[in-house]
Amino acid sequence: MSMKIRTSRLLFGVASGLALGGLVSGTALAQDQETTVGAGAGEEDAIVIGGSIPMTGVFAFAGLAFNEGMRDFVSWVNEEHGGVNGRKFRYVGQDTGYDVDESVGVFQRITSREDVDFYFGDSTAFSQTINSELNRRDILMTGASFASELNNPEEYPLQFLLGPDYTEQVGILLDYIADEQPGARVAFVHSDTEFGRDPIAASQERAEELGLEVVETLVTPPGASDISGATLSLRRARPDYTIFHGYVLAPIPDFIERSRQMGMETKFMGTYYSMDQTIIDEMGEAADGFMGVMPYRYYYDQEAPDTEILGAIHDMHDEYKPTMYIQAWLAGVLLREIAQETLDAGKELTGSNMRETLDSMENIDTGGIIGVPVTYRGSSIPVGRIYRADMDEGRMVPVSDWIELE
Amino acid sequence: MEWLFFFEVSLAGLGFGALYALTAVAFVVIYKATRVINLAMGEMLMFGAYLFFGFAAGMALPVWLALVLALLGGALLGLGLERIVIRPLLGENPISVFMVTIGLSSVLVGLVEIIWTATPRSLPDFLPSDPIFIGDAFVAPKTFWSFVIAAVVIGVFLVLFRFWRGGVALRATASDQGAAYAMGINVPAVYSLSWGLAGMLAAGAGILLGSVAGISSEMGVFGLTVLVVVIVGGLDSVLGALVAGLFIGWVESLAGVYLGGEYEHLMTFIILMVVLLLRPWGLFGTREIERL
Repeated sequence: MSMKIRTSRLLFGVASGLALGGLVSGTALAQDQETTVGAGAGEEDAIVIGGSIPMTGVFAFAGLAFNEGMRDFVSWVNEEHGGVNGRKFRYVGQDTGYDVDESVGVFQRITSREDVDFYFGDSTAFSQTINSELNRRDILMTGASFASELNNPEEYPLQFLLGPDYTEQVGILLDYIADEQPGARVAFVHSDTEFGRDPIAASQERAEELGLEVVETLVTPPGASDISGATLSLRRARPDYTIFHGYVLAPIPDFIERSRQMGMETKFMGTYYSMDQTIIDEMGEAADGFMGVMPYRYYYDQEAPDTEILGAIHDMHDEYKPTMYIQAWLAGVLLREIAQETLDAGKELTGSNMRETLDSMENIDTGGIIGVPVTYRGSSIPVGRIYRADMDEGRMVPVSDWIELE
Repeated sequence: MEWLFFFEVSLAGLGFGALYALTAVAFVVIYKATRVINLAMGEMLMFGAYLFFGFAAGMALPVWLALVLALLGGALLGLGLERIVIRPLLGENPISVFMVTIGLSSVLVGLVEIIWTATPRSLPDFLPSDPIFIGDAFVAPKTFWSFVIAAVVIGVFLVLFRFWRGGVALRATASDQGAAYAMGINVPAVYSLSWGLAGMLAAGAGILLGSVAGISSEMGVFGLTVLVVVIVGGLDSVLGALVAGLFIGWVESLAGVYLGGEYEHLMTFIILMVVLLLRPWGLFGTREIERL
């Protein structure tokens, strides 16, 4: 008898622990968090963009911007252009909590009830996981990841990136360094994650090819960790330039602050996901002079000519919009161009047809988002520009022209 | 020059180790008094850091006031959790309580993401930023001051633990609950006291950690290394928490510099394995068997 009671209480304890966990970590809530915009569900010829979007969890700062950007793009393209050849766009995005299983679940749910033409993915892991399913269903996909591995039309035929892959991003930084200070001493600092390791080996080689000297490569464990030892190693290596990759915010500000306290004069650089203005603002004083590669124009870019897309964004919003918001617009603009050309050629909007279109397109006009006309090479656009944080102006200012990798 | 570098790396490791030690003490206090292995410790620490962020950056209160409020908030969190979630389960199978603390950690992460979102943040600077030199060796000011603060807090705690009535009651309850009851000690109040104290210590550690490494809803993972620290030191030993915290901080720092950052946590878990094989009750723990 008492054994029974103990067992049931034990089960109660275990169950309530799990329930408490499930309550907030999101599966129940996530399904409700859906954004739908554009053509109605009943419209048969609608062009449907589905999205596994991280609106909660650690990547929510980007996911919410993706969602808003995609939503605004679809409203704009339907209102201003009536979609493509009279076919309206429809966007359906659901929250994933930045969890691969949930992203796959969202993909299955959306593709089972909608006739999806394009898909927007939220992570490298999701892109890898869903690849065979994309091929089976013949759906074209882009998304949040710039993983070098995805830049491979043979392995990932129906996926393309919205800018330079991580190796190319670092490549653009190295080109800039080689130009500014030939023979400079360069250090890499990256997180011990798939994201962090992505460009490192190839970039070390690239640096040597450019005549730069790689004096140190430091790895930091994931999560909140101590970087005191790493900063001491960095001081010993005396680099002219230090390139961070695999971080959003921490530990970059701390690294910069400690290096300055030790009297180091190295210039710090970052890649796309640590370059948004909101992240730079969080870095505070440490950000002054921080440089990095950015494939798109910033919302406030004063150099931008009066172009269609940036103009439309400014008409919709008076306040700053993150680079991830601009990234979603780029996805929309490219999808529109691809759909237009595919339909004009008299083909159906299948993934393989649209991939053929993408491969044949040259000098695509991105409406001012990227400062030069772009052509896909492999599955990426190897173009970007170096920006520097100017704390007096409170914004990122361009310090190079648009750099296109050979 | 090599020795100077080694010395600097060691100081950096000990500085971070002090944060392990501080959090580990909070862990041990709860375990000693209530026999609960609290896996939500890392998240309690995170919550304290976010409270400080909310008061200091969100509401723009003066730093000292934000600090006091965050510490009180941490204590209240500990008290609330004990009274609402843990006490009804006391005396039950340890695995029930253990699982509930796992659930709690998820709830705290969720709460933080609802209130402050999951966007990574920096804490307002409140530690002095003038470089510190010990001899010729450089110590980052944040590391130095967080070590000093952690050491003072632990010192005050040890004095209280030794001489204050509440501290004595806590130790009495830890050594023999039945006898403590018989002597008129209010054991449920001791439970509350231990969770409240631990909540406050965790909040303090969270604020220091946040000022060194930034805050995010993922920073509770720090609690995993602290769990290793308390297992190595001995689950019920304050001395063990202090020694193992400093030791693991030091080893991680050396491993990070001389082997590479990818080996830091590897070394931590190798130490854990060795200790579990040779002294499963920890370096300074009481030799008894806890079956989960």
